[in-house]
Amino acid sequence: MTSLPLTAFAPAVLLLAAFFFLLRQGPRPGRLLLLANMAAAAGLALGLAGVVQLLLAGQQVLSLGGVAILRLNPVSATMILLVSFVGWVVVRYSSRYLDGEQREGRFHGLILAAVASVLVTVQAANLPVLILGFVMIGLLLRQLLLFYPERAEARRAATKFTGVWAAGDVSLVLASAILWITQGTLNFVALGATSELTPVAQLGIGLLVLASVLKTAALPTHGWVTEVMEAPTPVSALLHAGIINSGGVMLIMLAGLVQQSPGAMGVLVAIGGLTALFGALVMLTQSAVKTALAWSTIAQMGFMLLQCGLGLWPLALLHIVAHSLYKAHAFLSSGKAVREVNAIRKPGPVAVPSIAAVTRSFVLGLVLFAGVAAIFSVLGGHKSPQALALGTILVFGVSYLIAQGLADAAPAALTRRTVGASLATTIAYFAFQWVAQALWGSSLPAVPTAGPLEWALIVLAVSSFGLVAFAQALFPLWAHHPTTAGLRVHVANGFYLNALLDRFLGGFQLAHKQ
Amino acid sequence: MLLEQTQLAPSLAEEILGAARTAARAIPPAFPLDATVAVNPFLGQTDQDLATASARLARLAGAALTRPRAELASMVEAGEIAEEDLEAALLACSAPGRPADLVALRAQLRKPAPAVEALPTIADLAAAATGTDWPAIFSRSFGLWASGFFDRGQALWTPRPDQTAFAAWREWAINDLTPAIAGLRGFSVHVASTPDTAERAILRATSRLGLTAAAAETAFHQLLLSLGGWSMHARWQLWQAELEGRSDTTLTDLLAIRLVWDEALLAHCPSIGRDWRASVAAHAAPVVPTADHVLDCLLQDAAERAHQRMLANKLTGPAEASGRPKLQAAFCIDVRSEVLRRALEGQGEGIETLGFAGFFGLPVAHRPAGTDEVQAHLPALLSPSMTSTSHGKGDEEFALRIAARTKRAWGRFRQAAVSSFAFVEAAGLSYGGKLIGDSLVRTRKAPGQSPLPRIEGVMSADAKAATAAKILRAMSLTERYAPLVLLIGHGAQMTNNPHESAYQCGACCGQTGEVSARLVAAMLNDPETRAGLPGLGLVLPDDTLFVAGLHDTVTDTVTLFPEAVGPKEAEKLDQAEGWLGEAGRMARAERAQRLPGAKADALGRRAADWAEVRPEWGLAGCAAFIAAPGQVTAGRDLAGRAFLHSYDWTQDDGFGTLDLILTAPVVVGSWISLQYYGSTVAPELFGGGNKLIHNVLGGIGVVEGNGGRLRAGLPWQAVHDGERLIHQPLRLSVMIEAPIEAISAVLKKHEGVRQLFDNGWMHLLALSEGRVVARYRSGLAWEPWNGEARRPADAKAAA
Repeated sequence: MTSLPLTAFAPAVLLLAAFFFLLRQGPRPGRLLLLANMAAAAGLALGLAGVVQLLLAGQQVLSLGGVAILRLNPVSATMILLVSFVGWVVVRYSSRYLDGEQREGRFHGLILAAVASVLVTVQAANLPVLILGFVMIGLLLRQLLLFYPERAEARRAATKFTGVWAAGDVSLVLASAILWITQGTLNFVALGATSELTPVAQLGIGLLVLASVLKTAALPTHGWVTEVMEAPTPVSALLHAGIINSGGVMLIMLAGLVQQSPGAMGVLVAIGGLTALFGALVMLTQSAVKTALAWSTIAQMGFMLLQCGLGLWPLALLHIVAHSLYKAHAFLSSGKAVREVNAIRKPGPVAVPSIAAVTRSFVLGLVLFAGVAAIFSVLGGHKSPQALALGTILVFGVSYLIAQGLADAAPAALTRRTVGASLATTIAYFAFQWVAQALWGSSLPAVPTAGPLEWALIVLAVSSFGLVAFAQALFPLWAHHPTTAGLRVHVANGFYLNALLDRFLGGFQLAHKQ
Repeated sequence: MLLEQTQLAPSLAEEILGAARTAARAIPPAFPLDATVAVNPFLGQTDQDLATASARLARLAGAALTRPRAELASMVEAGEIAEEDLEAALLACSAPGRPADLVALRAQLRKPAPAVEALPTIADLAAAATGTDWPAIFSRSFGLWASGFFDRGQALWTPRPDQTAFAAWREWAINDLTPAIAGLRGFSVHVASTPDTAERAILRATSRLGLTAAAAETAFHQLLLSLGGWSMHARWQLWQAELEGRSDTTLTDLLAIRLVWDEALLAHCPSIGRDWRASVAAHAAPVVPTADHVLDCLLQDAAERAHQRMLANKLTGPAEASGRPKLQAAFCIDVRSEVLRRALEGQGEGIETLGFAGFFGLPVAHRPAGTDEVQAHLPALLSPSMTSTSHGKGDEEFALRIAARTKRAWGRFRQAAVSSFAFVEAAGLSYGGKLIGDSLVRTRKAPGQSPLPRIEGVMSADAKAATAAKILRAMSLTERYAPLVLLIGHGAQMTNNPHESAYQCGACCGQTGEVSARLVAAMLNDPETRAGLPGLGLVLPDDTLFVAGLHDTVTDTVTLFPEAVGPKEAEKLDQAEGWLGEAGRMARAERAQRLPGAKADALGRRAADWAEVRPEWGLAGCAAFIAAPGQVTAGRDLAGRAFLHSYDWTQDDGFGTLDLILTAPVVVGSWISLQYYGSTVAPELFGGGNKLIHNVLGGIGVVEGNGGRLRAGLPWQAVHDGERLIHQPLRLSVMIEAPIEAISAVLKKHEGVRQLFDNGWMHLLALSEGRVVARYRSGLAWEPWNGEARRPADAKAAA
């Protein structure tokens, strides 16, 4: 079956526009800027057209010589729309932001080509196309990271990025080779339909998981993400919104296959959960806005891997979309941080909740959760233990909002507001979950039945997140205690994982001039 | 042995600590970005001339303090610097090593200046010896600590408060494993063994490093400079403390930290001892400018003389003024006002403008709605003596605070560890709407009428009248009052720009001028004030109405803030608004030509565009300060490059106002001009870096990229349009219409101000009848204008 997904044209349009910038790589490329914006807008229009096509004509596959190359299904349509939208925002932003830069034209060309490459990966129909997209992203992003090649820090960051990214590519190539031998196909649909897996094929899945860990900068390969602020802000926006999640997108596209391996799923839960807590903890100590955002991304990607590992594929996709939009905006508007920090100080000291208030807030949060979950269960049907566990983790987070309002020093008006916000947040969360299930549930595998391994991981995840959440709510009571001063130093340094990686890769050496 | 080394003779110890304090004073303060003002980066070098400061900063940072010689030479080539300017500059130069004559000067002009290299620090030497990038490792480790220590609200988990910088750092460094991982084994133990006070740590390190008393001062200065904006921020803390009558040791603490590192690096890498001793010896030598420094400073002087010549040609005597003006509009002296003032004056006969510092002389600290914190609204040199507030009624204020606290609670929910996941799942999608909104919405709504600020506490009728009289006299607004007098402060609307406050009014400490203008206008309209003024010798017509306004320097629109007005006043206001509207249109047309990618009718977009890094040019281009009656500059196109201060010496009994002008606005003007100068000629040292990779830190400043050195000063995009410099670095030419003897008398009284002129950080020219008549030479001497090519005989003899 072959057909023509309209979204297949999106990368082509962007690449064509990028090509023109080869001719004008210098400052103020004039009308080419208009062309770049039009190409980005056309990409977005094609993304929208893809959604319409999917709704009207169903799934589409572009085949060449009988081999499926690109496809349009609910997952890829979502990602195409997301990437083309973020691409449009970033191109538009860059055309003003980069004004007058010595290599302005080159930048626009690279950004357009990078967006095109991401668009290829997210609609890939088989592993070789996906790998091609990844390799292109790696090469282009490296050039963007080296936009100021005279900066030694930029060269170090680019080296680190290239090492990790290329390792992911190698891991994917090996995985493909194994799967080709054991399964006889590299097509995503066919791979997803397999049921019997040999131990060798399990190894292939392991390599897929390894690749996703490397691409999403999970522990302990996260170091490069905290260093790519060496490139202009729009690069960070694109990277954090469109590129770093591609490892997760890959897992979702291969969900049917990955879910066949409980071991791989367990590894994802463990690494994802650990990365999430680790990243979130380090984020608390970072005083530079973009660096804090980078740690936040590491944590969020870990959380997304955790969702994948629990088999909550639609939620993982929802997380990718929501995080991308939030993070793109956060980076592009990071110049507001001065104003925001000033605004934080204005209303005076923060009301500190006591242990009793925090306990109350957790009880209240769980009651809220039970109520809202019950309503949505009636509306949306049975909830799996995995979904309920995830909901519990999120409600621990919401409790923090309530706790702030329950502090003794907080006026009643503030309490009402934070409780109201908590309710709205809980409802929004379940509503989006329901929507995610409705949009993507049919094209992704169902949550696996929880066995002993799954239950163990669920209990571990819920209890560790619960513990951290409780500690976080009591934060002002212990954060400035002298005994935690040392802990803070280690946390602020990200437990030195990046320094160790630097030592290993020679990042402490005098950088060679380019 | 350890004891032996740390025990210095008391007198030597005192000398070393004295050198540390002197080095601390050599660092300019950097104000935090939420209320930043321009600071003279050479504040610690005003007791030297530019050539000596050049020699010092070349030694310490490898920086040049003048434009590249090739650029200056091409200005000579192009005739922008004329023969007569070179000649005059050569004659004025008395430094040893100056070119013998014009021929020699022209010959040297063609030779490229030798590259300047800083003396190597221990970290530099250790890096060269081991191949490990110690300066970068230090910068990263120190930067991570400092970002937490100085954080004012970005991170949720900051270090515990109420520790001195040295104690806090010690606690950090004893735990930090990064230096050890990078190869500096035993660093934590080394830190644990350092004395627990900064002073003793400095003394021990000095002794172990073999720093002599003679070498200590510039060696310390160099180490502080290597900390970039961190030491400047600490210097600001000292500045602020001293303004409030306290003291602060953070800056010397930072020096101690840097020294403890060097101590460890020298022990780690003993082979560099010989090279380091050579550095110490070089530090001990006095700072003497080379012939190249002298030549470059001479060329710089010639460029400034060329500008003065051009300016003098425009000042051909005062315009006629007669009868009662229809409108008087007082603007801030800021150079951005000049364009709009000229356009407004062109709207018709009887429209006069005045220039005065944008805080309009009211030394106020303001408490905006929704907070108890006060913000200074006056020049950074001064300390506020009254407070004002915009707090609304009880429940309004309460609602505002609850809203702000809810927003803050939501922000903490977004930022905290586990709740950040819930935040993304529940609210992340809504950012899609924000992305569309911020990408598309391109015109800023005009700000609504904010509540009227009021002075806190009771002011007696006498006090009001006395304050009002002082303000009017300082503005030289003592007669010929128009029926409508506008007091127009300024501010700049922009979005997503960390350096936003640098575009606001410098005389209002990085805030807009709205509060000050409205307070002063209300005071001048107050019947109690009006009743007391005649008794103080000021007779205002009953129909004179004062109205405050705010000039948005991005869009050149003026918003007026009239209080209750009757129909007759409304008519006057309508007319004034019409003039202001038309003047704004002309000003936009003029300014848009300089702004890359700007259309005159769409400047509002630049204010609302979150991707705009050059919303306007700020004070770029500033080069002159003219204090004279308005008629002297009326109608002259000064291209938005001059601070214009209204001053009529004939009204100035006892020259009190002249004293005020020279000690306050002129000094502020020099700070601004030298900040632009420093950020332009030495961007690595005194500039704010590249906006495209700025990473806002702790709400106080920016770093480039991942972290490391805090960057103070103006970003490169604020002085350069990508293809050429927009700010031509020139030291300020101050022109004052007043008798030479009176000016000299003021300078004699104020050593600090005199130093600025004597050492050439500013030029001083006297005007008479609207024309330049004399140039100030150092040592309270003057020479006649136009006569400067002929050198006075005494100077020649001395040469």
